[in-house]
Amino acid sequence: MESKRIDLKDEFKTFKGTSLIGQAGGPISVVDSSEGKITRIRPYHFEDWPGFKDIEPWKIDARGKTFSPPNRSVLSFVGQAYKKRVYSKNRVMYPLKRVDWDPKGERNPQNRGKSGYVRISWDEAAQIIADELLRIKETYGMEAVLSEADMHAEGKHIYPAHGCANRLLSLLGGYTIQIRNNDSWEGWHWGAKNVWGCEPVGQMQPSANLYPDILEHSELLLFWGCDPESTPLPIQGMMSSRLCYFITEVGIKSVYICPDLNYGAAVHADKWIPILPNTDAALHLAIAYVWLTEGTYDKEYVETHAVGYEPFFDYVLGKAEDGIPKTPAWASEKCGVPEWTIKALARDWANKVTSIIHGNGGPGIRGPYATEPARLEAILLGMQGLGKPGVHQAKMIEWHIHTPYYPLPYQSKLRPDIAVFAEAVRPPKTDYAGFFAHPEELLDQSPELKELLKPMEVAPQQSIPKCMVHDAILNGSATWYGLDKFIGPREEQFHLHKFPEDGCSTIHMIWTDSPCMTTCWNDGYRYVKALQSEAIECVVAQHQWLENDCILADIILPITTKYEQDDLQEEATGGTYEAVYREHPACPPVGESVTDFEAVARVAAKLGKEYYDRYTGNVSTEKLVEMFYDASGLKDYLPYEEFRKDNMVILPPDPDVKHVKPGLREFYEDPENNPLKTPTGKLEFTSTALQEFFPDDEERPPYPKWIEKGASHDESISSERAKKYPLLCVSNHPRWRMHAQCDDITWTREIETMKIRAKDGYQYEPVWLHTSEAEARGIKHGDIVKVFNERGIVLGAAYVTERVIPGVAYMDHGARFDPIDPNGIDRGGAINLITPAAITSKNVTGMVVSGFLVEVQKVTDEEMAEWKAKFPEAFNRKIDSATGVCLESWLIEK
Amino acid sequence: MAKVFVIDVARCSGCYNCQLACKDEHVGNDWTPYAKPQPEVGQFWLKLQENVCGTIPKVKIHYIPKLCNHCEKASCLESCPQEAISRREDGFILIHPEKCNGCRDCLKACPYNAIYFNEELAIAQKCTGCAHLLDNGYKLPRCVEACPTDAFKFGEEDEMQDLIPGAVVMKPDTGQKPRVYYRNIPGKFIAGTVYDPIAKEVIIGCRCLLTSGGKVLETYTDAYGDFWFKDLAVGKYNLILEAKGFVRKYFHDLNTAVDINLGDIPLDKE
Repeated sequence: MESKRIDLKDEFKTFKGTSLIGQAGGPISVVDSSEGKITRIRPYHFEDWPGFKDIEPWKIDARGKTFSPPNRSVLSFVGQAYKKRVYSKNRVMYPLKRVDWDPKGERNPQNRGKSGYVRISWDEAAQIIADELLRIKETYGMEAVLSEADMHAEGKHIYPAHGCANRLLSLLGGYTIQIRNNDSWEGWHWGAKNVWGCEPVGQMQPSANLYPDILEHSELLLFWGCDPESTPLPIQGMMSSRLCYFITEVGIKSVYICPDLNYGAAVHADKWIPILPNTDAALHLAIAYVWLTEGTYDKEYVETHAVGYEPFFDYVLGKAEDGIPKTPAWASEKCGVPEWTIKALARDWANKVTSIIHGNGGPGIRGPYATEPARLEAILLGMQGLGKPGVHQAKMIEWHIHTPYYPLPYQSKLRPDIAVFAEAVRPPKTDYAGFFAHPEELLDQSPELKELLKPMEVAPQQSIPKCMVHDAILNGSATWYGLDKFIGPREEQFHLHKFPEDGCSTIHMIWTDSPCMTTCWNDGYRYVKALQSEAIECVVAQHQWLENDCILADIILPITTKYEQDDLQEEATGGTYEAVYREHPACPPVGESVTDFEAVARVAAKLGKEYYDRYTGNVSTEKLVEMFYDASGLKDYLPYEEFRKDNMVILPPDPDVKHVKPGLREFYEDPENNPLKTPTGKLEFTSTALQEFFPDDEERPPYPKWIEKGASHDESISSERAKKYPLLCVSNHPRWRMHAQCDDITWTREIETMKIRAKDGYQYEPVWLHTSEAEARGIKHGDIVKVFNERGIVLGAAYVTERVIPGVAYMDHGARFDPIDPNGIDRGGAINLITPAAITSKNVTGMVVSGFLVEVQKVTDEEMAEWKAKFPEAFNRKIDSATGVCLESWLIEK
Repeated sequence: MAKVFVIDVARCSGCYNCQLACKDEHVGNDWTPYAKPQPEVGQFWLKLQENVCGTIPKVKIHYIPKLCNHCEKASCLESCPQEAISRREDGFILIHPEKCNGCRDCLKACPYNAIYFNEELAIAQKCTGCAHLLDNGYKLPRCVEACPTDAFKFGEEDEMQDLIPGAVVMKPDTGQKPRVYYRNIPGKFIAGTVYDPIAKEVIIGCRCLLTSGGKVLETYTDAYGDFWFKDLAVGKYNLILEAKGFVRKYFHDLNTAVDINLGDIPLDKE
């Protein structure tokens, strides 16, 4: 065949960021579309920007080799397959109302999660919500409205995914804000911060120039509970993959310590040390034991850089109250690593210049008592001279946040920052937008925007930690420590809070723009129960897809994906170059969907013109983009009119950054003049603050310990409970989703590590079991299985493999909730439904979503038949063969 | 002048971008006369094959992207009674969607199972090398462009001569002369960890001798007592482990039809 000129259907091109972390744009894609439909999504070649020829790429020279950015953006599965998300059969096409919820009659809260939905008009939906808000305000006061609005979503700025409702609720007189717990960093925030004081999230900071230093000096990297080929992907694309190949190329050894042969270990590990979930603290202690008994730690450093080490060392050596030396033999029984391998690891670590690598998470960092392994890791790094060349904790993720200088040298001098038009995480009783507040000096560049982004009156008057919403609703009250706001300093850990605040109502209405508690947070079945309670009179969800908590809502508003929206975007996450670019709509809105901002505006309009005008500010989209650009930090670098010519500006990497000392080097060199943010300024092996505030807390004692069980949790294999539930459940950040996002992508659902089609034709979430555990239970690869404990049942399909340690059931979180019985049986595989109820520990307001006891059994035909007989309506719901749960599953045609 | 693909398996981290980008280009997009739309699911004009090797804790994975080999001697082309399959100047083999009568002879003829049948359209379909893009200004097929680790290379055969020597093709004995080359597909491995069961210590520097058909391979255990013999041909092997102060240990007739993890191996004291 001869070559032909054909219509490539790329008559319209625009850029779209592919990060799903929320706010941040992420790796840039080019979207081609034609006749109102997206044709393709592909990487962006940097040289396609005319100004790129003047940019000197950054590079790291290490050991005779060079690491530098690729010539195009390196997208992950998110960018490559997102067309299926935009055009998913799971999209909410128009406003929906729960069929048996009548705001003027029976509300049937007990049927949330069971009953279907009917289509209503936008006019009706907006009117119902407006009426309910006014009724609630009059009956209980505005604090009776809980706003569940927080992060992770498509990156959006001018019309953001989260917090739009908060603007309107503030205008109405306030609300109750849900404060997100430190879900990615529980152990680091509540534990490690008390050792090394590293703000803001407790992982080692600053992270300036870590990789240049590691690539030059480190000999051994411990990827501890870290999957560089999974966790970072939907946030920042694939640079972590390229970095891992380079690490191997320059001869640095990669040892992976994790229960599963994760996707990074599968291709990059020089050694995989399988460990039982959430037993890392035992391994840490045994390593300390080897170093102490063999004298292979940096004694001088500890003496000059640490305090409170004697009681900890005594505990390790068996000289403390418990009298147990934490020997490798002792640890081996707890953690499942052979005694000889523990000793070998301890010695290799002591012999080699070693850094630890994470991708958020880490050793049991989202498990029971997560504070302990986090603190122990910080201590072990301290025992080997934390901050000296090649000795750090580094991350494969979030390279652009929490630090003044990035770990890879791609940052520009300007570091543009684009504001977000919402108050998603505004702390109670403040006039401050919270973690996502835009810097004053940038806002000053656009006085109009500054005016528009001024926090609305009235601030939320009370809060509930996200991990305690169920408690707060079911018990009508709650108390907790910390979480004054989302991401706060260490000192806040000791503040006691209560719900309800004096004079404030309990919760009677919920408005959520992040409907994924059942799939991403703790104790999901109890959350369902909370939402089925009589107290909750109205639940509003606004979302693009009819998934997860949407099926607990009474009114669902259809929202556009970012591909249908207009926006201004920044790229700083991807690790290639910083850039700012315009995102035009690649296609018209799907169905009757509108932006989150517009959805709330339609409710505001029903409340009256005054509300609408204040809420929206009456600014056109085009004008908003210009205002956001002017406040991005680029105004004086490239005027908006110039920017509009290419809708793209890539910023030159700052060559001066390489002179910034890496990590905690200054503390290493001179601890007296460069103190840490701990009370003593030193590494606190025994925490002075914990000693002061909680001296008798056995679940987070002043120095870290191995805690096998306690008042809050009994989730160890030595437990009496383990006789019934003998497997420890590992729930990683999903390989094929961003938490609960992207479960409906038909093309990834064909990949066996994403879904397994069982004999009944349903695509189940894989449950990894070691060959021996499957054999012991008569389970074959692909069998329908149930994962269960006292809290309920979650179905999956067996993925029988050598990639996981015996004693474990591994199931990624975030599969869509598809209840057979919303109070105890889920077919979709949402493992967080059966995660523990209790917070991390008594005084630690975190969630526990991994490292808990379950049993796995094959689902027999008889059992399935029983469920079908008992819950016929659940099995009669339409399931799309390729998409799974879809709009039609829940839609009742009038 | 023929185009070739050269895929470095050692650089493939299994991200599946190639498989997904292929679908992004061809599912729901009509590129007639190059190709009709690919069905929503079920066809893999580029399919990533996942190979999990070994047993815990000595497990490795390698991924092999498989696509139409655009063979120099393409049996599909010869099999087609409709002359619906042709070879372009650049070597790409295309099935003309408007000439195909759905007889399926090409599906049977292809030794690589690279051709799929579209039930709805009743035609055979496969990888086009994204010829419609290359003819219209694009430099790379979608799978190659989407590869974030540069495991995929694509270009003129004579410009890829530094990559092709040592590379292999799939099923060379069929005589099809494929134009998709693979580098670094790993052979089988034999691995284990050697330790002293009394002292409960790994044995570092244990000499490991692997013999097969007169050939001898030698390695020493590392800091974790581990030894790895990688990239072995399928065959039978004998292994001797010897460390100072310990009784020699022998393993006979290790069959590398599958990868072998000998586990944690205790050596007795002399």
